[in-house]
Amino acid sequence: MVVEILLHWMSSAVLMRRLQTRFVFLFLIAIYSQVLLAADLEALPEFLRSDPFGAIVAPDRSGADLASSLYGAKHQVVLTGCRGGYVSFHLVVKLPSPSTYTLDVTIPDPANKVQIDLFREWFHFTDSDKRYYPDALIPVHATYSSRLPEPDNRIPKQTAQAFWVDVYVAPDTRLGIFSGTAKLKANSKITTLPIQLTVLACVIPGEDVVTIDHNSYGSSWLAQQFAGSYQRNLDHWFESNQFFELIHAYHRVFYEHRGIFHQLGYGHSGKVGPEFAPVLEGSGRAKHITSWGLYDRHYGPLFDGTAFSASRRGPRPIPFVYLPINPEWPASYEFWGERGYEAEFVNVVSEMERHSREKGWTHTNFEVFFNHKKRYKGFPWDGDEVRFQKDLKYFLEYDRLLKKALPPNTPVHFVFRADVSWDMEQQFKVLNGVVKLWCAGGGILSFYKDAPKMLRNRGDVIWYYGGPPSVTDSSAAITEFPLRAWLWGVNGYVHWLTVSPGEDPWFHFDGGRTALVYSGERFGLTEPIPSIRLKIQRNCLQDLAVLDTLKGRKSLDSLRAEATRRYNDSSLDDWWNPRPALADLPSDQWLGSAIDDATRHTQQALQHPAASAAYKVHQYALSLQAEAK
Amino acid sequence: MKILYLIVLSVSFTFATVGIPKLSPEASVAMQKELEDVARVGSVMVDGDVCQKIVTEQAKGFLFATDPRDRFLAGDNYDVDDVAFNTVKKTLTRLSHLASFPADVNLWMPIEGHPGKIQLVIRNRNEMSQFWNWGELYGDMVPQMETVLKTGQRVTVTSKPGWISVLAPVHDSLGDVVGLIEVVSQVKVDAHENVK
Repeated sequence: MVVEILLHWMSSAVLMRRLQTRFVFLFLIAIYSQVLLAADLEALPEFLRSDPFGAIVAPDRSGADLASSLYGAKHQVVLTGCRGGYVSFHLVVKLPSPSTYTLDVTIPDPANKVQIDLFREWFHFTDSDKRYYPDALIPVHATYSSRLPEPDNRIPKQTAQAFWVDVYVAPDTRLGIFSGTAKLKANSKITTLPIQLTVLACVIPGEDVVTIDHNSYGSSWLAQQFAGSYQRNLDHWFESNQFFELIHAYHRVFYEHRGIFHQLGYGHSGKVGPEFAPVLEGSGRAKHITSWGLYDRHYGPLFDGTAFSASRRGPRPIPFVYLPINPEWPASYEFWGERGYEAEFVNVVSEMERHSREKGWTHTNFEVFFNHKKRYKGFPWDGDEVRFQKDLKYFLEYDRLLKKALPPNTPVHFVFRADVSWDMEQQFKVLNGVVKLWCAGGGILSFYKDAPKMLRNRGDVIWYYGGPPSVTDSSAAITEFPLRAWLWGVNGYVHWLTVSPGEDPWFHFDGGRTALVYSGERFGLTEPIPSIRLKIQRNCLQDLAVLDTLKGRKSLDSLRAEATRRYNDSSLDDWWNPRPALADLPSDQWLGSAIDDATRHTQQALQHPAASAAYKVHQYALSLQAEAK
Repeated sequence: MKILYLIVLSVSFTFATVGIPKLSPEASVAMQKELEDVARVGSVMVDGDVCQKIVTEQAKGFLFATDPRDRFLAGDNYDVDDVAFNTVKKTLTRLSHLASFPADVNLWMPIEGHPGKIQLVIRNRNEMSQFWNWGELYGDMVPQMETVLKTGQRVTVTSKPGWISVLAPVHDSLGDVVGLIEVVSQVKVDAHENVK
């Protein structure tokens, strides 16, 4: 009996233990599941992009140590910034199972000097590596409701949606701390992230230390990218208000991001788009302008700045514009070398000068620029990237014609621009006093360390050019261009093409090496929408503008040296290449592959900046500001 | 239902007429006739000896060159004799004025040692061509071009909807056909095409 009782007790105890163990196990599973299944809201620095499953995209993982950099001791999002600019970060909504949600982001400011712009990040599927990258930014209201997976992005098993948050701090914002929150409602639960914004005394200058240009060609791409609008007005769309408003919107999106926009208005054989030039009539000495209609509708609001009236940066005339002048316009090339060519050119260009003067369009640089290449069979000389020295005689002749067309003291700024690569060293000499705006290939310019200073000392403007990085590069890759421009001491940088995102950027993306903005038509917008890369570039420009203001306290060279050290542990010399032996050969004997070899040093030294590279420069700028205070 | 049918019919008709530009057969024939007249005059006026001097030896030497490290090798070495080019281009431009509507006269030249290939050598201000693929240095010769070069006869091509090209021979001083001109126009000119 005792044994039975003992056995019973033992079995009961075992059962109890088993039950307890099971209970504890189930309890833990339940708790853990709650944790796993709970909606989550995460803040990430601007340089860490999330994929649609909540992981950092592979190219940004080198900066994964930044992940916690936004958080303070009380798990609040800590933001710090100067006035007159933006502080940015990502918010990532994570829902482990399909569900609806609402995201709300606020930083209340009764004076409305602190404003929040919220953007949903579109995840592009890139065919090259079969992965998703966020880039296009769709403007949404600060309270945004949707569901995961996001219906229009069509990503199976999507569990995370990223948002770009721009916090705009007006130049006259009061100093101090502003508190706000990011609030996520999902599955009947509310997750709150406190936000603490510290506004510093510094004011980001409105003027940039480097001009970042975003280039494009013609207008036909607008009809393709805004096909709905175009289809509704097929025969008259290119003369419609929608069309001109759209062009102005492109200027505006780049202006708002501290950049400028160029649209070349003619082809390689001289065909001019109607909206880029006044209408001409007649021939020889009778050639003259008969209508400014489309030209003025296109350019008037850009030259007087009213196209930017609603901008936070305020109305300002565009600083640069391509003229329609080319070998076939305004003078007909059939008269080249004859009196008739000179008469047509001088008459029409004189009329253009007079029209601009009468309108008061005296704040824009009107560029006489030849883009054609002989390989495109329109003309027998290269206007763009001259390789054969014999072609330079055409530049000298146009300089003569231009000087004849313009009054010597005109307040209208006509400027002869040349885009140079192969033969730039010779052209800097031969075209001294002719070309005043140089746009130089970055690879070859890297051989000539003294060139920027030499050109600027004689009053020329020097930019260099390249193209945007792919979304598959690190998030910081876009910052290399403005930073390099500042380090080199040039005036600016040109992205050669920025409005061409490919046939299907949404679901079969080519990576975006020719696009920094997208059509907003898919989202019911009549304007372009920005990209993450454009935002990161803007923030880098803010940092450079701030750093440059400190050159009174530290030498510019020491500021630059420290910035490069922090950026990628490089020295200033790493951003230049030694002058190669081929530079002493006539440029028509150079080979493209030899140029690649000669630029290998910078290619290797500066390849693939880590995602944290620009963050460190940003921190450097802020630390100097704190010291200054 | 009848009204709905009429609406659908009307919309379809609009799309059909907008989608493929068409002229009345009479107008199209008149355009073609003018272009043929220009081509006939062009064959007389364009100097084949000068045409042969346009593309330089350096350009010819690199035309088919390839380098996996330099995809622009041929284009970067493309060069022309500007005097010869300008002489012929001025003639082509003046020929185009003979048409009462916008037209271009382009010069095409065969490539020695590369049968079946042809090169566009001069384009003009309206940037029109029925055969040039934008940006290419040379391309495959279409059979109609081959016919012109072999027979010296003019050939009219309307393969691409809305386009009319008349191909006509260019002779040198020996009487040989050394190239051809493409006298070309479009039924509906696209003011924005090729502005890039």
